[in-house]
Amino acid sequence: MIFKIARKELTEIVREGRFRITAITLFALLLAALFVSKSYYTSVNAQHSEAKKNVRSEWMEQGQKNPHSAAHYGTYAFKPKYPLSLIDNGVDKYTGVSIYLEAHKRNEAQYAAAQDQTALSRFGDLTPDFVLIFIVPLFIILIGFNAFTRERESGTLRLLKSQGVSTWKLTMGKWLGLFLPVLFIAIPVYVLAALFLANIKDYGQFSLWALTLLFGVYLIYYAVFINITLFVSSLFKKSNVAFVTLLGIWMVSCLAMPKISTAIADKLYPYPTQVEFEEQIAVDKKKGLDGHNPWNTEAKKLEEETLKKYGVDSVQQLPFNWDGFLMQEGEKHTADIYFKHYQLLKDTYVNQTNVYRSTAALSPFLPTRFLSMAICRTDYTSHWDFANAAENYRIELVGKMNGDMAANSKYGDWDYLADDKLWSSVPDFQYEPASYTTVIRQNTSNLITLLAWLLLSFAALYGAVTKMKTI
Amino acid sequence: MLNHTIKYEWLNLLRDRWVMILLILFLGITVFAVRNGKEKVEDRMATITKEKEKMGKLDRKMAADIDSLNKNLKPAPEAWKDPRALDNIGWNAPRVVAMDAQPLAVISTGQSDLFTHYAKPKIYGEAYTLGFSELSNPVQLLFGSFDLAFVCIYLLPLLVLGFSYNVLSSEKESGVLRLTLAQPISLYQWLLGKLLLRFFILTIIVVVSILISLTIFDIDWLGNRGAATKLILLVTVYIFFWFLISFLINLLGNLSGSNAVTLIAVWVVFVLLIPSIISQTANSFYPVPSRTIMIHEYREAKALAEKKADEILKTYYREHPEYAPKDTTQQNQYSWWLGNFAASDVINQSVQPVLDDYNEALNKQQSWVNRLRFLSPAILLQDGLNDLAGTSPAHYTDFRNQVIAFADTWRHYFIPRMFNNEKMQAEDFGELPTHSYSSAQVPSHYPADLMGLLFFLTLTVAGSMWVYRRNSFENVLSV
Repeated sequence: MIFKIARKELTEIVREGRFRITAITLFALLLAALFVSKSYYTSVNAQHSEAKKNVRSEWMEQGQKNPHSAAHYGTYAFKPKYPLSLIDNGVDKYTGVSIYLEAHKRNEAQYAAAQDQTALSRFGDLTPDFVLIFIVPLFIILIGFNAFTRERESGTLRLLKSQGVSTWKLTMGKWLGLFLPVLFIAIPVYVLAALFLANIKDYGQFSLWALTLLFGVYLIYYAVFINITLFVSSLFKKSNVAFVTLLGIWMVSCLAMPKISTAIADKLYPYPTQVEFEEQIAVDKKKGLDGHNPWNTEAKKLEEETLKKYGVDSVQQLPFNWDGFLMQEGEKHTADIYFKHYQLLKDTYVNQTNVYRSTAALSPFLPTRFLSMAICRTDYTSHWDFANAAENYRIELVGKMNGDMAANSKYGDWDYLADDKLWSSVPDFQYEPASYTTVIRQNTSNLITLLAWLLLSFAALYGAVTKMKTI
Repeated sequence: MLNHTIKYEWLNLLRDRWVMILLILFLGITVFAVRNGKEKVEDRMATITKEKEKMGKLDRKMAADIDSLNKNLKPAPEAWKDPRALDNIGWNAPRVVAMDAQPLAVISTGQSDLFTHYAKPKIYGEAYTLGFSELSNPVQLLFGSFDLAFVCIYLLPLLVLGFSYNVLSSEKESGVLRLTLAQPISLYQWLLGKLLLRFFILTIIVVVSILISLTIFDIDWLGNRGAATKLILLVTVYIFFWFLISFLINLLGNLSGSNAVTLIAVWVVFVLLIPSIISQTANSFYPVPSRTIMIHEYREAKALAEKKADEILKTYYREHPEYAPKDTTQQNQYSWWLGNFAASDVINQSVQPVLDDYNEALNKQQSWVNRLRFLSPAILLQDGLNDLAGTSPAHYTDFRNQVIAFADTWRHYFIPRMFNNEKMQAEDFGELPTHSYSSAQVPSHYPADLMGLLFFLTLTVAGSMWVYRRNSFENVLSV
């Protein structure tokens, strides 16, 4: 019975001009989005690998230098772009692409694409996720808002009841009638995306499993919207009212809620400004050991302690270059300060994330958005992970430079030069993103919220249709 | 006769609870939006004020220290702490170069969440390294702010459509239309009259809500009547455009349900699809020049220049100012700094072409993309509102240039004095160069945006006349 009803619904939907036009438009949009994203992805990746090659050769060919000067010269870490970013570009537009790694200083990622683009980019881009997350739910509303109201308006609901069809079976039929068209559009897109991704040279981290998981998340999201659509349609007598109500729900959950949550998160846990953040770090740095400042009180204290430890009475007599040692100690100290302040910043970010997680109870859009970005590795957590890896690499690099200076040169000998033997002993920056198990673990709450939405919306639909009046 | 129908329509609307609901709903949304905008602007201005106060306090402390040092009331500190040394002032007491909020900044967040609003350029360091990005959670940037611009661009059209989608169809569905059209009356005029009436009511609701919200949050719109009028004009034209779209769809003579669906489709196309398609294709056809390649070129040019500068100075002197000769008995106590400036001048001059080339390419790309805004009224409104709020990309580019220019002024205040081996005096603090922000240099997009919107109005009017001519009365009346 359910399938008969589903077939009837499908035939009816397909016969309607409204469906054909919107389905074709939707499909065309998704295809266009995939193609445009692919070309963008390829060009960004080409730039990325060129840049990586460049910085490595810059580092290797910097010539003879004092190791500490080399640490100041530094290098760059470039954020890799993952294949699935082709589907969902997440926050990548708003996070920088490169981090300058130098002595004494942890830098923020620079050059977020949004900063170089005009305000137009704030409308969002036509990427697959834009269509998948904003437009497909509208499509569901468009084809389903009158699923029950139409029957009621024309009096067929009563007829159906008199035939002895259970309302739940009727509902399931209508449910399938909405879900199948969505599936018809989603499956080709899924297959195409898989083919695209598999054909990208050097596809690195791509796994079919992740793509499948991503589509699974979207299908749950659509199921929630189908439930809501049918629920609303079963409540009202008039199609017009059902349509306007559903549109309101779509607007609140997809457009307004993300912005309202942002306003709340920002109000409760504001980020410091860039200058404030830097000044807090500068204050802590001033209090402690300054590797470049032999007159600093902390440095004097360390000097006394070290001299005592080695049983000598001047830094010249130490078995290593005091300058290099002092600088490395200072480096450790500043690294700790950066760690502390970035940890504080991370706390703020975690608090903000928790705000989004709680408002997700009011909008199925939010958990889907976060899950989608996380699976595509374009969420903020991925960015943090990369920035931390870059910082660890920086500490290692600077440590190696200072260590070489301390071991191989004499105190006050700033003319000591190292060469490419030392430069090549520093491995190239390699970044491995977090495993999917970690990603899933980090997003358990989003997954649970989304599943709760699915179950609760099913329950609401069930409750509504069993009590549904036929007139 | 027409007057008659309009009068009854007016009475009808007054008794309808719709108008009341609309007024309360819209007022609520607007108040929330302006509150969000106000919060951001207040934060922005508070940090600027705090920075300026901190600067003033430091100035007074340093002036007092200089005074007591000159009067030998205090032992002379180490050279690198001495407030009388000009390099210490240039490095430790930078001026705050701030971008003050425009009076109507609350209406649109624009690009203000991406960039900082103040910088403290120091005597040393390159303009290139002056960071302008603001620290923020990118998720917030992705979701955007709930500001008045969002309300006007996205929500307002939906209100218009909800208020007007069934003006003709409901009369047709209830059979009144046949009766009305039996009167000596033109369908076009009658429908236009009905919609114009609704347009006036909604516009009044919107304008009153905006003005009330601005007043609640203490925005002096009366004092900035020019900008406020421009805001209202822009929003009114946008509302009118959506009423005309509704008029056009109504004229097609379809049923209410079908009208609603069509109008929503139009909204999706103009507000969601066209902007995102343009944004995405603009990036493909006019790609933003690559920053990663620019970094490489910059570093190559810099490395080359540094080798040249080595002839002037040993590298570590530049990187380690604290190792500069501390001996002040020699002729000029600033000789190290002066040498350093010379070296960094050599470097800056050689990397400048790389930066100039990049900026030129970026400007060209942006001006291409800017022209694409004429393809959607939503983009035009966004651009116009950012322009009025002073939060457009052009405003931030201009501010960056002001900071870079001021960094130069700051350095050139000290250089001649350093050559003269002068010392800082307490009274000199009043003479330090200061920066006052002005957005006068930013070319205004507003007139072009307004013209663009008016062009869309004309197109819709022409479209509706064409539809009216083609569609026979019978067509409209048949169900």
